[in-house]
Amino acid sequence: MISKTFKQEKVGCQLLEAGHAQPYAPGTKPQMGPVWDKSLCVRCALCYIYCPDAAISRQEDGYFDADIKLCKGCGICHRECWFGAVSMQEVE
Amino acid sequence: MDTYTLYAGQFLPFKEHFNPKGHNACKGCGVALAVRQVYKALEGSGAHIDNAHWQIPWQESVIVKSGAIAAGTQPALLTIAKKDGALYICFDNESTEGKVEADILLKKLPAMASASGCDYAATACPSHPFDLIEKIKKAWSCAGSAFVHILCPCPVGWGFEAENTVKVGRRAVESLVFPLYEIAQGYYKITCEETKPQAVAVYLKAQNRFAGWSAKKTAALQEQASENLAHLKSKAQ
Repeated sequence: MISKTFKQEKVGCQLLEAGHAQPYAPGTKPQMGPVWDKSLCVRCALCYIYCPDAAISRQEDGYFDADIKLCKGCGICHRECWFGAVSMQEVE
Repeated sequence: MDTYTLYAGQFLPFKEHFNPKGHNACKGCGVALAVRQVYKALEGSGAHIDNAHWQIPWQESVIVKSGAIAAGTQPALLTIAKKDGALYICFDNESTEGKVEADILLKKLPAMASASGCDYAATACPSHPFDLIEKIKKAWSCAGSAFVHILCPCPVGWGFEAENTVKVGRRAVESLVFPLYEIAQGYYKITCEETKPQAVAVYLKAQNRFAGWSAKKTAALQEQASENLAHLKSKAQ
């Protein structure tokens, strides 16, 4: 039985569980998360296409927002936004 | 009347099929990004993407001699059954045991697939998402088997910051190390022609795995890459 948990292990430890790609929430929040500036955003959806974690979703008004439970804080959306609307800020 | 295709993110399907509750890839994973875009391309086409092999733990395959394709927890080869034949998608993050050599970077998997009977073979990169989505759609709708080779930058294995995943993929295409082309029933077509190609050194400098490369090796790689492109262009005419 594969337990779907997120654990922090010590460096150099032995991993006794097999790894798997089954879906589960990462568990901890990232250090830095994306924040959208709506005055600069043109709703081009580039951040949405380039998100590897499927954390970004479209809101009802057409703007985008990230689910911080899924986000890992990689910063691709910040890097790829042409208009500088996405900034990485510390998550509360 | 001609029909035009509009490439805008707003027209992509917004329903999330790709592990909507999260996954355990590293942050900035290129393979996860490529798999997600493949799922976007195949939505509504009738493919059984919900039962695709992403759910199987530790499907690992390493092809050492033909260019070292390996993936840790992610599948290296995703097979989706079609009406006639199958759709093979290779997620290549170029992880090797030992040193990286030029013949690993410049591999020609689509040519091999086309020679062995695939009706459609192509290369793609998640840094060019609409190109990738169009190719997957074409591969799905072609008559026989199809093969798509996707280069997935790996921040951990290649040694760059997680936020540069898309940028490094774009550099690979721009510096002609990984040209984007397709082979439909033997006919070549370059889908992303670079009018101002960058030097290979720009691509290599962004990654730590080439830290030990000499200038001589870089020059040889540059020569091989431009030779490859000339070969592709002569085929495409």
